[in-house]
Order: sequence, then C-alpha cells, then structure tokens
Amino acid sequence: MSNLTLFSVSDLLVTVLLTAIASIFPEPIRGWLTNPDLLLGLACLVFGALLLAASMLNTILLIWWERKLLGRFMDRRGAMHVGFAGLLQNFADGFKLFKKDTVQPREADALGFYAGPTIYMVTSLVLFGILPISSGWNSGALPLTLLLALAVFSFAPLFIFVSAWSSNNKYSLMGGMRSAAQMIAYEVPLLLAVVAVVIVAGSFDLTTIVYEQQNYWFWGPLFLALLVFVAGMLAEMERIPFDLPEAEAELVEGWNTEYGGMLFAFFMLADYLRALVGSILVVLLFLGGWTLPTWVPAAFTSFPLAGIFWFMVKTYLVFGLFVWIRASLPRVRTDQLLRVGWNRMIPLSLLSVFLAAVLVTAKCLPVFGCVPSPGG
Amino acid sequence: MGGAVEAKEKPNENPILWVARPMATAAKQFAKSLVRPSTIVYPFERLEDPKFRGKVAVESGRPIGVGEVWDNYRGVHALNIATCISCNLCAFSCPDLCIDMVTVPGGDPKHPKKCPQIDYGKCSYCGFCSDACPEGCLTMTTRYELSVTKRADMVYSPERLHEVFRSKLPMNPIRLARPENEDAILLDPPLCIGCNACARDCPTQCITMLDVPKPDAKPGEKLPKRIWKEPVVNDSDCVRCGTCISVCPKECLFWGTRK
Repeated sequence: MSNLTLFSVSDLLVTVLLTAIASIFPEPIRGWLTNPDLLLGLACLVFGALLLAASMLNTILLIWWERKLLGRFMDRRGAMHVGFAGLLQNFADGFKLFKKDTVQPREADALGFYAGPTIYMVTSLVLFGILPISSGWNSGALPLTLLLALAVFSFAPLFIFVSAWSSNNKYSLMGGMRSAAQMIAYEVPLLLAVVAVVIVAGSFDLTTIVYEQQNYWFWGPLFLALLVFVAGMLAEMERIPFDLPEAEAELVEGWNTEYGGMLFAFFMLADYLRALVGSILVVLLFLGGWTLPTWVPAAFTSFPLAGIFWFMVKTYLVFGLFVWIRASLPRVRTDQLLRVGWNRMIPLSLLSVFLAAVLVTAKCLPVFGCVPSPGG
Repeated sequence: MGGAVEAKEKPNENPILWVARPMATAAKQFAKSLVRPSTIVYPFERLEDPKFRGKVAVESGRPIGVGEVWDNYRGVHALNIATCISCNLCAFSCPDLCIDMVTVPGGDPKHPKKCPQIDYGKCSYCGFCSDACPEGCLTMTTRYELSVTKRADMVYSPERLHEVFRSKLPMNPIRLARPENEDAILLDPPLCIGCNACARDCPTQCITMLDVPKPDAKPGEKLPKRIWKEPVVNDSDCVRCGTCISVCPKECLFWGTRK
C-alpha cells in the first residue's frame, strides 16, 4: 500500500498501454515508442490529468456538499432532482455555463479581462497539485511545500484585482479593491498561525507535519492558532461573513460582475477549489491529515485507500464547519473587517506563535501525548 | 475619510457571544431539519395529502394549506356533458369571453348539442359561469394545476372538462338562487309570426306553441297573414337563458316581469 503512489499508478498505466501498442509495430518504431524518456513524459501527463480530474471532481462535490448542508441549515432541501440526491446538478449547471456566450464589455481591457480568471484558475489548480492528500499522493514531496502553497495562495488578490480593474466597471473595481485589502489584511495572521505550526512540527514539509501528528493532533495545543487560521482562511476564501468583495446587496456581484459563461465558471470553480484547499490545509496542519489516532481499531485504517478516505472525510467536515459559519453569521462591514484583521487577528496570531515557542522550549508537548521526534 | 462610521457595539456583551449565539441557533435549525425540512417536495407531495393534515399549519387562521383546499376554491371547471342543456348562459355570463360553445356529439342534426369550451389563458376564475349554469353541470373544482407546455393546451374542450368532472374532485357548491317570476320571457303578440323558432331552440323545451284565438280585425285594418300560434313560456321550467330572444326573427320576445 505504501509503495502504491499516484505517480506509480500513472507510470504503470502508461507503460502497459505503450508496450501493448509498441508490440504491434516493427523494431525501430517499437524502440522509439518504448523510450524511457517518452514513458516518463507521458506518465507525467497522465499524472497531471489524474490530479486535474481529482481536483475538479472534488470541487464539484464540494459545491454539492455546500448546497445540501446549506439547505438543511435553511430548513429546506438542497439540489435533489438531477442524479441521486442532486449529485449531478452541478455538472448540469457547469454544462449550462459552458454553453453560454462569453460577453466582453466594450470598455474592458481584453488582456486583463481574459488573463485574470485564467491565472486565478491555474494558480488554484497548482495549489491542489502540491498538497499531499495521502502518503501515496507523492505530489507534495518538496521540503518547502507549505511555503510554496501559501505563496501560490497569496497570488490570488493580484489577479482578482487585475480582472476587476480590466472589467472597467465601478462595482468590479470596488470589489477588487476590497478583495485586495481584505486578503492582504488576513494574509499576515494566516502566515503567523502557520508559523506556530511550523515551530511545533519543525518542518515546512506538509508530509512531515502530518507525520509529526501521529500521536496527537495539533488542534489541541495550538487551538489559538487554529482559530486564527480558520478566520484567516474564511477571509482568504471570501466566504461569509467575510464576503465583502462579492457583497450582493451593495456590489452587484463584486469583482466578477462582468463575467459570464465559462469565465464565470472559472471564477466559481476556482473559488471552491480554494475553499477545498483551505479545508485541506486545516486538515493537514491541525487535524492530522490522513492519519487517525492510535486508539482507533486497525480495521478502520487498513482497508485500501483508507488514507484518502479519512482525509476526505475530515476535509468535508471542515468545509461543513465553513458552511455552518456561512449559515449563521451576517456579513461584516469593511471597517469591522479591517479592524478585526489588523487589531485583533495579528496580536492573537503573535500570541499563538509565542505559545507554540513556549510549548516547544519548555517541553510541554508531552502533556498532550506528544512523543518528540528524534530529529526535532 | 471624514465621516468614518464608528461601530456602536454594546460594551457589556461578550464578543464571543456574537458568533456563538447565531451558530447555536443555526445548529439547532440544522438538527431539526435533518429529520425532515419544512419543504414540501411539491410535484411529488402536496399540501392536501392526508399525511400533512394538521401538520403543516400556517399560524393565522385556517388558510388553504392546513392539509386541505377550501371548498369554495375556484379552480378548473368540471362539466357534466350529460346534463348540459346547451343554454349558452355560461358563455353569456363570462366577463373574459373565454367560453366558446362548441358542438359535441349527442345532439340531433337540427339541434346540435353545444357545450362550453374554456380558454384558461383568458379565464379569470370569477365563477360567474358556474353561478349562471341553470343545471349545475358546470362547476368549479379544487384543481389548481394548469401548467402546460403549449398555449393550445390551455384551451379545455368539453371532453377535457368532462374528464375533470369524472375525477370527482370537490366542487364549488355555490349557486345563486334564482327568482321565480322575475325576468320572465314576455311576448309582444302583434309582432309574433308564429315561426316556432323559439320553441325549436329552447334548451329546456319549456316553450309550447299554442293556438290563439284569431283577433278580429278592426275596420280598415289589414291583419298580417299568419298561422295563429303563439309561444307560451312555462316559467317554472325556463332557465332564463335568452336563447328564444336571440333566435326570434321579429324581435317580439323580450325580458320583463310577469304580472
């Protein structure tokens, strides 16, 4: 099980297929077809395609999950007619958006108008690609995955602002400005909360951080950091109560007012992809990733793909928390948002960093059942 | 930046409660609707289904939706073709002119049987037609589902209205009481030529042509040449449809109060 990685699966797939195809050709062509470089390149392509499929599928499932949960919070049922329990509703919606015309406003700047959503989408996809979903998902095997993920995550306000400005619409521009202000305000506490995790785990590698949580999950000792991280994530994902950039009541649809059809679908998908990535980050940093506590019976962890299964369960539960918050809280005002961001969140995150440092230096972590890693 | 709005927050309240209280409320609602949300999945379930009787209640009074539809709800018409007498009163009374009298099988060639065909695209559901119907064969039912995919489907032929009648839905019982002797059909005898058109077209056969004594001519007066028959209306059978008035070639029948 531990040897079976996503890349090895795609490698195997390509090798088997290509050898089968090559066997019907005479010698020189067979040699070219079974060239190891070609195999590697094709395996990379298949690997990417599998990742893309996984990310899109999860995103669309996430939208379904939000619609169902939000329906229950609002005393109604969510999508329920297309497919089983409405599972195919989002595919139908996506297909409808795909068929629609893309209308470019006459005054809009074409380059920014089209590049904005595209790059927004691409960076979100990159984000999903570098996160480890389970031990066999080896796409995140970099020593600085966490830093890379957060760096890519913080690209977003720039391209939102670019697309908002090039739409040449006052609502778009206001939404883009709010988005930029909000994301920059919440980037700092978010990163500081992550610093607390890094101090305790002693690594920037997400896989190492997860394995540091084998015996205890970080949400207990780092509860303050978790709170700050969740609040910052809410602001980064522009979800209620921090959805000021898309405040429907005042700015038509915020920075994506002028977008329709496929470009709107790009924004929508990227938004939910970022929500998915946010939930995944919470699970990775604070909820033990794909591991389960040691007292859980082995039957729950030994079935095939158990890691991915439990990881997804945790991710969807964390996203359920975000939906719960969305169903409960009203939208905050801009001044409240920025004041909370700069005046409350940053001191709190600094406090959480301090607490993490105290925990590590005073060797208090065994209180929570931690067995310090030998290298740490 | 001059008029920056200062947030007015209650100083003595714990800010954590601002988040915790609504989240608790939402969680309570979530738990409640996890069993069954209040939504009624309409095309598959209806408020008037027996299982909702008394469960889904609107708090004010007894409106439609406490598991039943009001008895005097004015929905699609039901037409009993068998008892329809083709009196045309529904079409006369319709303020929207949405009722056409169309021929249905069952009459003889000289007197085709005509029954109302209703265009629900025009109908305002006022119920005048069912009030006017003398035989009680055109009534309004509690059926309220009228959505169609083609505009032509909005027009209900007598056969379709009869289908509604056969589905035995609760029907609107309201009928206006008819005064016995008001608005009777009166005759202006000197004009009548005894043509029998009124008796022929009367839907209830309440007009009989009776021989009348031939009036004596006054000196110098020339009487019209005719068969001396005149219509006599049986007021208790008459439904006051006015067909006789409209078919009379000499306009000698008119509405009036019988002395």
